[in-house]
Amino acid sequence: MERDVSNFSLLVLIVFVMIPFTISYFYQLGLKKDILWSSIRGAIQLFLIGLILTYLFNLNPFIGIPIMLSVMITIATFHARKKGKELPNVFITILGGLIVIEVFVLALWLGFDMVSFTPEEIIPMSGMVIGNSMVAMGLSLERMKSEFSTNRGKILAALSLGATPKQASHLSVRRTLNAALIPNIDQLKTIGLVQLPGMMTGLILGGVEPIVAIKYQLVISISIFSSVSVSAIIVSLVMYRFFYNERMQIVDLEEV
Amino acid sequence: MSQVIYKLDNIYRRILTNINIEIHKGDRVMLFGPSGSGKSTLLHLFNRLDDPEQGSIFYNGKNINEQDITTLRKNVGLVLQQPYLFPETVKDNLMYGPKLFNDWNPDEARTLLEYVNLPESYLDKPVDELSGGEKQRVSLARTLANKPEILLLDEPTSALDDQNIEQIEQDLINLIQHNDLTVIMVTHNLEQAKRLGNRGIYLENGKIVEEGLLPDMLDRPETEALKNFTTNH
Ligand SMILES: Nc1ncnc2c1ncn2[C@@H]1O[C@H](COP(=O)(O)OP(=O)(O)OP(=O)(O)O)[C@@H](O)[C@H]1O
Ligand SMILES: [Mg+2]
Repeated sequence: MERDVSNFSLLVLIVFVMIPFTISYFYQLGLKKDILWSSIRGAIQLFLIGLILTYLFNLNPFIGIPIMLSVMITIATFHARKKGKELPNVFITILGGLIVIEVFVLALWLGFDMVSFTPEEIIPMSGMVIGNSMVAMGLSLERMKSEFSTNRGKILAALSLGATPKQASHLSVRRTLNAALIPNIDQLKTIGLVQLPGMMTGLILGGVEPIVAIKYQLVISISIFSSVSVSAIIVSLVMYRFFYNERMQIVDLEEV
Repeated sequence: MSQVIYKLDNIYRRILTNINIEIHKGDRVMLFGPSGSGKSTLLHLFNRLDDPEQGSIFYNGKNINEQDITTLRKNVGLVLQQPYLFPETVKDNLMYGPKLFNDWNPDEARTLLEYVNLPESYLDKPVDELSGGEKQRVSLARTLANKPEILLLDEPTSALDDQNIEQIEQDLINLIQHNDLTVIMVTHNLEQAKRLGNRGIYLENGKIVEEGLLPDMLDRPETEALKNFTTNH
């Protein structure tokens, strides 16, 4: 049986979009334009991607998959970079990080035959890994900047006592890592209890046995968990040094 | 190495201009001047928390650009104007510097606290529970823990009451004598400058307006600017 969502019911979704929009309007939260615009943009994006995916899925997987992955990683990099534009080498760090993560995850999936090398499996699963890593990197960047600005005095004090940038950043790096990893760990703890994870829901809706869906979900959940952790670690351990110059002095980010 | 010479010929971000000073070993130089005149900035340069765009600073006869930065910072100890303390306890702060250089001896903790007139029971006190003045004293002790050759003090007693000021000054004097320390200290307390300093430098708008020996310089200022400054303080 082919199930489909009718076009009319898609329109009904607008009601859902209107809820935060209305709340925002009444409480003057100032998100109104943002919400409306991002919903419209999101919808158009999804439809376009649907079209492109249909085309790419029909290509030879050895051509289609690399193309799709490169595009995904590039877009994710541009997006995550926004959170730390002032810092040097952000682009290359994020790009490098995402590539390393994706290659590692693919090696694991394919090496242990958990996932088959077809766009139908690789692309959505990679999408989740890359998307979550992107968000984690962006959050870590943001968090790191705020840690460095709140701890500026302490960092200055540490440097003045003879600490290296690495030693002086210890506190800020640790706090960044904590902040990035705690929600990730919480999510893993409550998986399947609080929220039925997206992929499983999708598979069950698509008619797959729940037990099979759970196995896939385990693969993806653990992959995401590790990727998100690695993302936060990469950002924290690589990026802290860009807050200093080669003379172990704090750089004013506005000037970079 | 009998002499320590600081020369900073030129600009630093248009905040400091034409600063040219020589400081000798054993000097106790007092820096004073209006708020925003560049006193803290100058101390930061000596500790290399920042570098001048032009000009050079010599320490022990050698340009500080050519010296190992962390060693220099240890030897030229700076007490920042704000006492930014590290988590968690007073002890964590005291051992921070020495631990960086694998040179921490727990027996010294008590002596350090004595220098700044705090009881030994404070060692395990969380820094969040300290008063402003206590924080300032811990910050001073933390720098002293590094056994610096030069001590840069940025208004180290600004948050203390008269009684504590007197005690810390006395401890500083002992410390300076015992360890043959050279001191450069920012203070807005001109009486304190006379008590502690042998030389004075008056800064205004990033320039040295007057310099001389203490206490004479403050008792009989030569420039109008310093005259005004002393009558207002
Ligand atoms: N990081 C900075 N970037 C730009 N300007 C700065 C910076 N730090 C200080 N300044 C400016 O440099 C000038 C000198 O500041 P500094 O802190 O050295 O003054 P100060 O003499 O120590 O003043 P106070 O007695 O208030 O502590 C001020 O005009 C200040 O606004
Ligand atoms: Mg100052």
